[in-house]
Amino acid sequence: MILRPVQMTDLPALLDLVQRAGPGFTTLPANEERLTHRVRWAQRTFAEQVERADADYLFVLEDDDQQVVGVSALIGAVGLREPWYNYRVGLTVSSSPDLGIQRQIPTLFLNNEMTGQSEICSLFLRHDQRYGSNGRLLSLGGLLFVAEFPQLFGDKLIAELRGSADEHGCSPFWDSLGRHFFKMDFSHADHLSGLGSKAFIAELMPRQPLYTCLLTEQAQAVIGKPHPNTEPALKILTAEGFAHKGYIDIFDAGPVIEAPVSRIRAVRDSQSLVLAIGTPDDQAPVWLIHNRRLENCRITTARARLVGNSLVVDRLTAKRLQLQPGSSVRAVPLLNQQQQAVAA
Amino acid sequence: MLVLRPVELTDLPQLQQLARDSLVGVTSLPDDTERLREKILDSCASFEKDVQGQGPENYFFVLENLTTRRLVGCSEVLATAGFSEPFYSLRNRHFTSASRELNIEHGVPALSLCQDLSGHSLLRGFHIDSALERTPFSELLSRARLLFIAAHPARFAEAVITEIVGYSDEQGQSPFWDALGKHFFDLPYVEAERLCGLQSRTFLAELMPQYPIYVPMLSQAAQDCIGRIHPDGQEAFDILEREGFETNSYIDLFDGGPTLYARTSSIRSIAQSQAGTVQTGSPIDARGSYLVSNDSLKDYRAIVAELDYCAGQPIALSAEMCAALNVTDASAIRLIAL
Repeated sequence: MILRPVQMTDLPALLDLVQRAGPGFTTLPANEERLTHRVRWAQRTFAEQVERADADYLFVLEDDDQQVVGVSALIGAVGLREPWYNYRVGLTVSSSPDLGIQRQIPTLFLNNEMTGQSEICSLFLRHDQRYGSNGRLLSLGGLLFVAEFPQLFGDKLIAELRGSADEHGCSPFWDSLGRHFFKMDFSHADHLSGLGSKAFIAELMPRQPLYTCLLTEQAQAVIGKPHPNTEPALKILTAEGFAHKGYIDIFDAGPVIEAPVSRIRAVRDSQSLVLAIGTPDDQAPVWLIHNRRLENCRITTARARLVGNSLVVDRLTAKRLQLQPGSSVRAVPLLNQQQQAVAA
Repeated sequence: MLVLRPVELTDLPQLQQLARDSLVGVTSLPDDTERLREKILDSCASFEKDVQGQGPENYFFVLENLTTRRLVGCSEVLATAGFSEPFYSLRNRHFTSASRELNIEHGVPALSLCQDLSGHSLLRGFHIDSALERTPFSELLSRARLLFIAAHPARFAEAVITEIVGYSDEQGQSPFWDALGKHFFDLPYVEAERLCGLQSRTFLAELMPQYPIYVPMLSQAAQDCIGRIHPDGQEAFDILEREGFETNSYIDLFDGGPTLYARTSSIRSIAQSQAGTVQTGSPIDARGSYLVSNDSLKDYRAIVAELDYCAGQPIALSAEMCAALNVTDASAIRLIAL
C-alpha cells in the first residue's frame, strides 16, 4: 500500500470512491467535472506551479494491484483566497453580585482566525480496507509530507471533522441556527458548500456572537461533537498532538482540531535516514516512510529496523518507495511510544 | 364624583393596596411601603419644583372617589425616560443577509438591547379598580395625564411613549421571558418584574444580553409574544391607540410587550383639547361627555363631566364640578370630548 499524488488516470476510481463515501463527504463531491478540476489542480500543486494560497495536495492510497482505495488531502492555506469562517466557543458571563446571580453562557463568535493555516481534509478509506496500518498511512502520511516540506505549509495544521447528523444527514445544529439564515436544508447547504460556495454561504451567517442557550437542546448537545464516522481519524490525530481548542464548523458544529506543525509527533520525531535493504524481523516496529520527493512522492508503512543511521526494510518496501539502497528517506515509527507499548 | 389629582403622602396605605392589585408587569407600582413612600415624595417634589425644561420629574396621579375618599386608580407620567437611570428596550429590526452568488436575500429579525427611547416622556403605572375598567373613568385616569402635558408642555419631551404589559398566562408564566430573560437572569418572570420595581435598574445592564438575539432562534411561543399584549393591558393600549399612539419596533425586554409612541403635538387630547374659562351659576344643558381639567400644577384636578360646550364661550360648570376641580368663576380650564 502506498500513498502518492493523485493522477488523471485515477479519476474513475476516485469517482467510485467518492460515491461510496456518500453525501457527508462534501469536500470531494461526486461530480465528475469538479473532480477532474480538482485532480488537475492537485497535479499542478505537486508540480509547484501554484501559490500556497491555492495549493491542494490530493493523495490517493493505492494497493499493490494499483487499486485506489483511499483518498486524503492537504490544503496549503485556508482563507487566503476567500474568507474562512469558524465559530469559536467562548463564554459570556451574566452576573449581578448584588442579586447573587451568575450565569455562564457559552457563546459562539464568528471568526477568521484559521486564515493562513493548512488543512488536512477529504479523508476517506474504503470500508473493506479499514484494517492493519491503512488508516494510519492515510491519515499520517500527509503529516510526514509536511515534515519534509514545512515551507509549503502554515504554522498550524487543522482538520474540520464532520459534525453530528442523523441517519438522513440532518444536522440538529443547522436546524437550530443556519437554517434560519438560509432557508434551505442542511444537505442542500452542504452540497453548495462542497461545490465551493462555502464562503458565499458563510456570508449569510449572522456576524454577531450567538448565545448557545438560545439554540435547541439537541443543537447545544452536538457543539464540538464529531460524527461517529470520524472517530477513527479523530483518535489517530489526537494521538499525534491534535487538540480541539474550541473552534467548530459553522454549519454542523463539528470540531476543528488543530496542532502546531512543529509539535505534531510524526513531524517532530521524524528523521532522515539512509535506506538499506535486508530482513527486518517480524517483531520490528512498523515505520511510516517517505521517499522525500515532492512530485514523485511515495509514502508507505513497513516493518523496519533502525541500525545506526540506516533504516533496514525489505526489498518490496524499497520498490514501493521507488528507491534504491543508499537513498535518503524520512521516517517515523507509525505508532507513538505509548501506542507501541500497548501494541506490544 | 371621581377626581384625578396629584398623589399625597396620606394616600400611602391605599396606594399600596392598589399596587398589590396591579398587574405584575406594571413595575412602577411595587408593593413595597418604603419604595412607594419614596415615589410619593418624589412626585410631590416634582409638582412643587420650578422647572425650566424637562428633567427627572415624575408626576404621580390618583383617582379618588370624593364621597367615599377611596382611591380607585393611579397613573404616572415621567418627564424623561432614562434621565436618572437607563431606560432599556429591545429594538426589533431586520438584519438582511444577501448573497449575490447564491441569489439569496432575506431579512432575519433580531432583537437588540438599546436605550433609543431615552429622552422621551413616559406614561406608566396605569392601574384602575377592576369595577371601573372600560368606563369613562379609565379614560380620565389615562388621558388626564395628556391634558396635564398640554397644560405644562415645557415640562415634557416632544414625544411620549408607553410600554404596554406583555403576555403572561394565569400562572404568571411569560413564554417570552422563559425563552430569553430566564437564561440571563436565572429568575422566574414574576420575581424579575418585582425586582425591577424595587431595585435600581442597573442590574438590568449587568445581566441583559449585549449581542442581538435572532428572533427565529426563539421558541414559537416566545416569538408569538413579541408585541403581544396582556389581556389586562388591552384597555390601556386601546385608549392610547385612539389618542394616536402607534406601535413601533421597540418591545419590552422582559415580556415582549409593545411600546407605543406618539409625537406630543399630535396626541389627540393634546392637539384637540380646548382652553376655556369657567362660568358658574348657569344651568347646564348637557350635550356631551368631556374630560375637564384645571390648568394648575400642584393643584391639578381632572374630572369627567356632562357639559354643554360651545367653542369660544365660557363653560358652564356645576358647583360640584367646580369644587372637584378646585376652580371658581373665570378660572382657566381645559377640556376634550370623551
